[in-house]
Amino acid sequence: MGRENPAEKALGLLRRRLCDPSFVFKPFSDSPDSNYSKLKFIISSSVTEACNNSILLLGPRGSGKIAVLELVISDLLLEFPDMISVIKLSGLLHSDDNCAFKEIARQLCVEHQLLFSKMASFDDNSQFMIAMLRECGLAHKTIIFVLDEFDLFSQGKQRLLYSLLDAMQSVSSQAVVIGVSCRLDADQLLEKRVRSRFSHRKLLFLPPNKEDMQRLLENILLLPTDSTFPQDYTVQFNAKLQNILADERFKDVLNTYINTDSTVNYLLKFLFRAVSNMDLVTGFLSLENFKTALSNVQRQPKLECIKDCSILELYILVCMKKLEIKEQNSYNFNSIMKEYKTVHDSFQTSDYYAQNVCLRAFEHLLQRELISFTDSRGNNQSIEFRPVKLLVSSHELHQGLKSYRSCPAILQKLMAG
Amino acid sequence: MPAFAKRKSSPLAAGAELRDSMDLRSENTGCSPQKRKLRTNSSPMKASSISTPMKRTSPRRSANANLNSLENGIESKICERLPKLRKSPVKCLLNDFTAKPNWNPTDAEQIRSVKKALHVSTSPLAVVCREDEQKKVLEFCKSCIEREKAGSLYVCGCPGTGKSLSMEKVKQLLLDWAQETGLEKPDVLAMNCTSLTNTSDVFSKILGKDQPRKRSYGSTSPLQLLQNLYSQKSQSSGRKMMIIITDELDYLITKDRAVLHDLFMLTTLPFSRCVLIGIANAIDLADRFLPKLQSLNCKPAVITFRAYSKDQILKILQERLTALPYTIFQPQALELCARKVAAASGDMRKALCVCRSAIEMLEAELRESSNNFNGSSIETAFFESQIDPHAAVVKKHEIDIVGIDHMAVALSKTFKSPVVDTIQSLPQHQQIILCSAVKLFRGGKKDTTIGELNKSYVEFCKSALIPPVGILELSNMCRVLNDQGLLKLGQSREEKFKRVTLKVDEADISFALQVYKYFGKNLLSKSFYADDKGLEPRKENLQRMALTLEYPTED
Repeated sequence: MGRENPAEKALGLLRRRLCDPSFVFKPFSDSPDSNYSKLKFIISSSVTEACNNSILLLGPRGSGKIAVLELVISDLLLEFPDMISVIKLSGLLHSDDNCAFKEIARQLCVEHQLLFSKMASFDDNSQFMIAMLRECGLAHKTIIFVLDEFDLFSQGKQRLLYSLLDAMQSVSSQAVVIGVSCRLDADQLLEKRVRSRFSHRKLLFLPPNKEDMQRLLENILLLPTDSTFPQDYTVQFNAKLQNILADERFKDVLNTYINTDSTVNYLLKFLFRAVSNMDLVTGFLSLENFKTALSNVQRQPKLECIKDCSILELYILVCMKKLEIKEQNSYNFNSIMKEYKTVHDSFQTSDYYAQNVCLRAFEHLLQRELISFTDSRGNNQSIEFRPVKLLVSSHELHQGLKSYRSCPAILQKLMAG
Repeated sequence: MPAFAKRKSSPLAAGAELRDSMDLRSENTGCSPQKRKLRTNSSPMKASSISTPMKRTSPRRSANANLNSLENGIESKICERLPKLRKSPVKCLLNDFTAKPNWNPTDAEQIRSVKKALHVSTSPLAVVCREDEQKKVLEFCKSCIEREKAGSLYVCGCPGTGKSLSMEKVKQLLLDWAQETGLEKPDVLAMNCTSLTNTSDVFSKILGKDQPRKRSYGSTSPLQLLQNLYSQKSQSSGRKMMIIITDELDYLITKDRAVLHDLFMLTTLPFSRCVLIGIANAIDLADRFLPKLQSLNCKPAVITFRAYSKDQILKILQERLTALPYTIFQPQALELCARKVAAASGDMRKALCVCRSAIEMLEAELRESSNNFNGSSIETAFFESQIDPHAAVVKKHEIDIVGIDHMAVALSKTFKSPVVDTIQSLPQHQQIILCSAVKLFRGGKKDTTIGELNKSYVEFCKSALIPPVGILELSNMCRVLNDQGLLKLGQSREEKFKRVTLKVDEADISFALQVYKYFGKNLLSKSFYADDKGLEPRKENLQRMALTLEYPTED
C-alpha cells in the first residue's frame, strides 16, 4: 500500500474527533467558571463530605449536558476509585415506577455482584434500594443517580422521585441525584413536596459565546504538531485553517448557520459536513468546503422545485397567485386559463400556449406537489373543474422567480404588482 | 420586677462573655410564658415536660414580645425601655457573635462540620418553633393512652414545615413518658404511604403490627379482620394501644375514597385501640375526603403547621449553628436569608439549602483568591474582623465569614428562573420567533398555527432586513423551543396546522430582550409594527444591528 496519503489520515482524524463528545468538551474543563468545574466541585464535595445533594442540568438539546456529565464522572471515578457507583436511568425508558425500581435494583446488583431476580416485586425492589443506600452510606460509598430526561419522570405520581429524594433526607444514605433535562421549567413540574426536597441547584448549559466558539473550532480543526503527520504538511494545514477562521466571509457563513440553532451539537454537524467536503487531492480545507456545507444544510426544497419548472409552469403559478390576491376563494384550471388569457392580452407575451399544453403543465405541477386539489376525495369531475390551491407561499415563489435562470421580466412584474 | 431589671442591663453589657449572656437569657425565660400565651392562646408551658435546651431569645424578639404584653400593665415601663432597647439589639446580637471566634474556611474539617450542621438530613437535638404543635399532639396521644380510647388526628401544612420531624420527636417523647409513668408502652407504627403498592396494603401493615401471628386467610381481607377485631370485646382488655403515624396521607386517596374512609373509621369502632395520626399537605383533606365522619361526629382534630415566619427561620438557623464553636455567618446574612425564604414559601429546607449554597460561594471565592492573593492578606483581614466586626462588613477582601454578598448570590441562584438567561442566549431566529408570537398574541388570541406564525415571522424579518428562513427550518426551531418549554406545540397531521401557544410570560420575553431598548426603539413596542416606511435608513440599520447579536455596540 505504501505511505498513506496524509490528507486521508487527517480527514480520518478530524472525523474521529467530531464524533467524540469527550474530546469536544475537554477544553471547556479548564476554566473555573465552566459548568464542568462547578459540577465536579459539587459532586466531589458531596463524596468527600459524605452528604447528600441534588442538582439539575438544564439546557437545549445538543448543548453537551450528558457529555460534560460523562467527563466529570469519568474523572471522579479515577480520583475516587472505590467510592462511587453510578446508576443511570432514562425518562424515556423508565418513567413507570415499577420499571424504574426494577432497573435500579438490577444496576445495583450488577455493580455489587449480587444476584438479581426478575421476579422481585415492587416492594422488594424499593426495600432493596433503601437497604443498599443505607449499606453504602455506612461503607462511605456514594451512589450517583443520573436521571436523563428528568421532565418525563415528573409525569404521574412521581413516586420514584419522592422515594429517592426522601431517602436522601436521612443521615444514613449518601447519594447524589443528577437530573438532566431540556425543559427549563423542569423543577416546576415537580409536586410541592418533591420540589421541597430537591435542592434548587441548577446548572444552565448555554450556547457558547464568540471566544468559546473560536476555541472550540481551533481545538477540533487544528492538526496536532506531533509526529503523526509530516511536519510541513501540518504547518501548512494549520496556517491555511487560521486564515480561513479569520476570514470575514467565514464568519458570515458561520453566523448564518448559528442563527437558527447555536448549540454545540448543531455546529459539529456542520463541521462534519464541511470536513467531509475536503479536497483530498490538495489535502487542505478551504472556504468553499464550508460554503457548500452551508448550502447543503439550509435547503429549501420548494425553491429547488420552482427552479426546475418550465416557463409555462411558472406562468400558471403566478396566475394562481394573482387569483389568490384577488381574493377568489376557490379557482380551478379554467379560471386559471382565463387569467392567463388576460395576462397575455394585457402584456402581449410571446409565451401563449394552447389549452392541452397548459393542461400537461398543470398536471406536472400537481405531480410535483407545488399545487394540489383542495378536496382530497376525487369525485368524478375532470381535472379542469376541480378546485386547486397553491402549496408554495408567495415569499417562496418570489424568491424562486428571482433565482430563476432566465425568468421573463413580465412574471416578476406580475408578482410585484 | 427583676426580669425587667436584668433585661435593661443586657444591651449595655458590651463585650459580654458568652456565659454572662446565657445567664441573662435564662432570667428572661421567666417572661416567655406570657409571650407564648398571647401569641398562641395555649396553656403556659410547664418547665419540665418537654426537654428543650435553654431558649436563647434574641433581644430583638424580647423587644417585640414586650410590645405585645400589654396585659401585665407594664406599658409605661415598655415605653421608657423602648428607646434603650431599640438602639442596640443589633449590637447585642453582634456581641453574641463576637464572643465566638470566626471560623477558618480553609479548614476542611470545619467546612464539613458546618455543612453537616446545616444539612436537611441532620435532625437537630431539639425541634424549636414547633413546641406548641408538638405539645398539642403529645397531649392528645397521652389522653388517648390514659383513657385507653381510640382517636384520630390530622396534621397538615406546607412542605418543609417540620411535620415529620415533629412527629418523630413526639414518638420519642411519648415512649419516654409511658416509661416514666409506668403505663404500658404503646406500639408505634410509622409508615410512608408512598411505599405502598396498593392503597389497601395499609390495612395489612396495621394488622401485621397488631397481630403479628395472625394472617388473613381465605376471603377475609385485612380490613375486615381489623374491623372484626375492633368490634369485639373478647381479646381487647389485654391489648396494647397502637399509635399509627401515616405520612403523605394523600397517596391513599382513591376515586371512591374508600380506603381513607375505612382507615379513619377504624378509630370509631367501639373497641378500637389505635390512635391514628395522618400527615398531609392539604388543609381541607379532612373536610373534602371524609365528609361522612362529620355526620358521625368523629371528625379528626386538625393541627396546622403554619409556614415558618422570618423570626422562626432565623431562630432555627441560629439553633443549628450554636453547637459549633465559631461564627460562620454574618448576622445580616442570616437575616436576609430568613426574610427572603419566609416571604417566598416559609420552607425550612430551602433556607438550609440557601445557607449551604452561600458557604459554597465563599469556598469558590476563596479558591479564586488563593490564586490571586497570598496568604498574609487573609490573615490581616482575619485579625481586623476580630477587633471591629462592623468594619469587617465593609471590607472587600474580607472573606472569612459568609457575608451578605455571598448570601445574595446564593438567593438569586435559588430563586431566579433560568428563563430570562436562556431567552437572552437563544440564537437570533428563535428570538424573532418568540417576538412574533408575542405580537400575534397581543390581540387577545391565545394560540395560533405554525402557518400564521410563519407569516408574522416573515413580516418581522422583512422589517428588520434579515433574510427569513423557510418554513421547514421554522418548524424545526419551533420544535426546539417546544422541547425547552418556551412554546407549546399541538399535534396535527400537517406541519402548518399545528397549534402554537406561548408558555412564557410576555413580560419575561420583553425583559430578556430589553437590551434592544438601548437602540431607541423597543422591538416589541406597538409602534414598531406600524407602517414604518417613513423611517430613515440609519435607524433601520441600527435595528438590524440590534438583532444580530454578534456585532458589538458602537454607540
